[in-house]
Amino acid sequence: MTRISIIVLCTTFLAAPTHAGEHRNFVSCPLVRDTKTVPCWLAEHDGELYYLGIQTDISADFDPPYLGHRALVEGVVAPNAERICGGVVLDPVNVSTLPELDGACNTVLPAEDRYQVPFAPRPPGPSGGRLAFEPPPGAAAAKPALTGPQEFAIEYDFDTPIMARHADVLTQIFGYATQAHARHIVVRGYRGATLLSDGTVMTERDTLPEARAKEVAQLLIGAGLPRAEIEVSWSTEVAQPRGDGDWHARRTVVRVEP
Amino acid sequence: MPFHAFARRIRAAVVPCAIGSAAVLAFSIASSAPDAQRSWWSPGQGGTLPAESAYPNHSGRLGIFSASGPVEATGQPFFTPLGKNGRACVTCHQPSDAFSISVDTIRARWDATGGGDPLFAGVDGANCPNLPMADPASHSLLLGRGLIRVFLPWPPRALDGSVIEPEFTIEVVRDPTGCNLSPEHGLASSHPTVSVFRRPRPVANLRYVTAAEFGVGPFNVKDSQPAAHDPATGKLVNMQLMADAREPTLATQAQSAVATHLEGRPLGAAALQKLIGFETQLFAAQIEDARAGSLVEPRGPPAFGPHALATGRTSVLGNNTTNYVFPIGEAWRQLPRTGEAAHDAQSAAREAIARGHDVFFFRTFWIKDAMHINTVGLGNPAKRTCATCHGMHMTGMDTVNGWMDIGTTNLPWAVEAPQNPWTRDKPEMPLFKLTCDRALAPHPFLGRVIYTQDPGRALITGRCNDIGTIVMQQFRGLAARAPYFSNGSARDLRELVDFYDRRFNIQYSEQEKQDLVAFLGAL
Repeated sequence: MTRISIIVLCTTFLAAPTHAGEHRNFVSCPLVRDTKTVPCWLAEHDGELYYLGIQTDISADFDPPYLGHRALVEGVVAPNAERICGGVVLDPVNVSTLPELDGACNTVLPAEDRYQVPFAPRPPGPSGGRLAFEPPPGAAAAKPALTGPQEFAIEYDFDTPIMARHADVLTQIFGYATQAHARHIVVRGYRGATLLSDGTVMTERDTLPEARAKEVAQLLIGAGLPRAEIEVSWSTEVAQPRGDGDWHARRTVVRVEP
Repeated sequence: MPFHAFARRIRAAVVPCAIGSAAVLAFSIASSAPDAQRSWWSPGQGGTLPAESAYPNHSGRLGIFSASGPVEATGQPFFTPLGKNGRACVTCHQPSDAFSISVDTIRARWDATGGGDPLFAGVDGANCPNLPMADPASHSLLLGRGLIRVFLPWPPRALDGSVIEPEFTIEVVRDPTGCNLSPEHGLASSHPTVSVFRRPRPVANLRYVTAAEFGVGPFNVKDSQPAAHDPATGKLVNMQLMADAREPTLATQAQSAVATHLEGRPLGAAALQKLIGFETQLFAAQIEDARAGSLVEPRGPPAFGPHALATGRTSVLGNNTTNYVFPIGEAWRQLPRTGEAAHDAQSAAREAIARGHDVFFFRTFWIKDAMHINTVGLGNPAKRTCATCHGMHMTGMDTVNGWMDIGTTNLPWAVEAPQNPWTRDKPEMPLFKLTCDRALAPHPFLGRVIYTQDPGRALITGRCNDIGTIVMQQFRGLAARAPYFSNGSARDLRELVDFYDRRFNIQYSEQEKQDLVAFLGAL
């Protein structure tokens, strides 16, 4: 703990200046900092501390990383943003928990009065009755009903298969396929590469596209869609990473045709 | 051999009390209760389960509410021997024990019958069917921890009977029961089988346990795998039954239990309907606390007692200050003192229960490395409270798909007998080594090699991430049914609290622990 604090203090002076709009793509141990409300998630890179997000609940877009693993951070320095929890704000930011374990990633920083999270939409314990990002009753605009062929993209953490947070998009696919009496469903798996800020390129395993496509198809069949209507394919090609939104390439696309 | 002699011999980590006298004490207390008909229900014995009945336990009294009125045991399948071993459902789901069965009751039954009760049937009331049944050592896990043998095929089978290719291999590291290495019953037998040992769950408050109006979708919320369906109706179910969610409905659970535990033939449709109708109208909760007095008096905490359960809302998320998991109101938060010792002691006990509720509901700690908790969008660690996971209104179960790994069966957290040159304690539980497929991502917190006393849901799904995950139980009637956790590793509520304190480094104060125990005992 002391070692980390010293590093952070020293690097305040040594870090290269950050500029709004600059991309920050790197791999490092995530850090969690306690506060008087909810914890915030940080990561250190090249002598600078970056703010990734806070703990809320399952309604949040931000899926916090895991201690015990390194994380791939892909983000953009937010314009005109004050530091949060001591970190430069990255927004948008995509954080992937890397699959292999790393016991060195185990830092929990204590709460300090100077780091506050007054904007937390829910406390660390019981909520006030609503999920953090659930729209108020009656506020949700009715989405137009889908018709005709539709494509759904399932995006992944780096080098990973389906996880808990994918239940929503799988439910959307299943629901539309059922409602539209889909006659043909094409599941196509892809993999991606990411350009890190130091110029390194990280590429996902070439076995992933097939595994991803087959897993999604198997899940849809397991939920009740007829096997005969599902076509599975994959591509092991990797698009040239640009360091900007590379995470969108890590996906499986499901096309549902009524 | 009487049980107390056996206990001395094996030096197992069991309650070192005068077991022989416990049976007599339990019977006399039950007889003095105004409306308890009996403390032990034998299959086929007849009689009536009243609409309301009370049974004493160490913390006070348990109340049972049969919402449809008195039930004649004769003709009700729940009380009827349905197989060749003479057991009925009631054998392991006793009214006095919140329709589960406590280890005290089990020991008393051994002493009363010399081990001849059908409860101790070899099929699963012994450590293994091939052991000598008259020897209490053959039933050490039932007598010591209240555990029934659950034997499951390996590799797993889907509901349609097809073989599931597991993501891991399984080796037997330690087998004190002998059953997993048995040529007849073990992994290398002609029908490869894994034996694990689990506590019987309460057959009460099932309206909550089976409710499926919240969070149930085609893909379960823990890992996006397809959710189970009711084979009779095709409707999605909440996957909250059994320690491993292997049975989708009460009907399939009943048929499975009749076939295995009772060694009987399938129930007919009418009998099945009668059984489920009985089970789903039963409510059980503590009604009296030995120190705090009545838990169900007017203007008392609204969550307490079986009538509150009978009228409560199901499928409601209680991890919020709108519904609460266990709404207890303000009545017991600060009570006046009169100077009269008994009155003031009762007030202090009631305030302890209210404080214990607040520890449960509001006391934060770091939940870390818990599969299917930290992996569902909260991050690892997450600063939350007990109610984060135990969020179902009125029961404290998960709201849906309630299997998680908090370390009750997986090493390094599972309770194990310390091994050193000076101890005479021997491990009681089997230990398995599970090695996950290297081509797949490792378990996010335990890696690719996992040691466990019970692989839990992974024995059903074959998935590495499910190793040691157990469907959490309801919190009601706890005082009547020790020990706790699926493997009976917490002898009492204090050990249960201490486990969490160690596991998550909560650093509860002594006062917080005592208050939490008081609260849990009042549920």
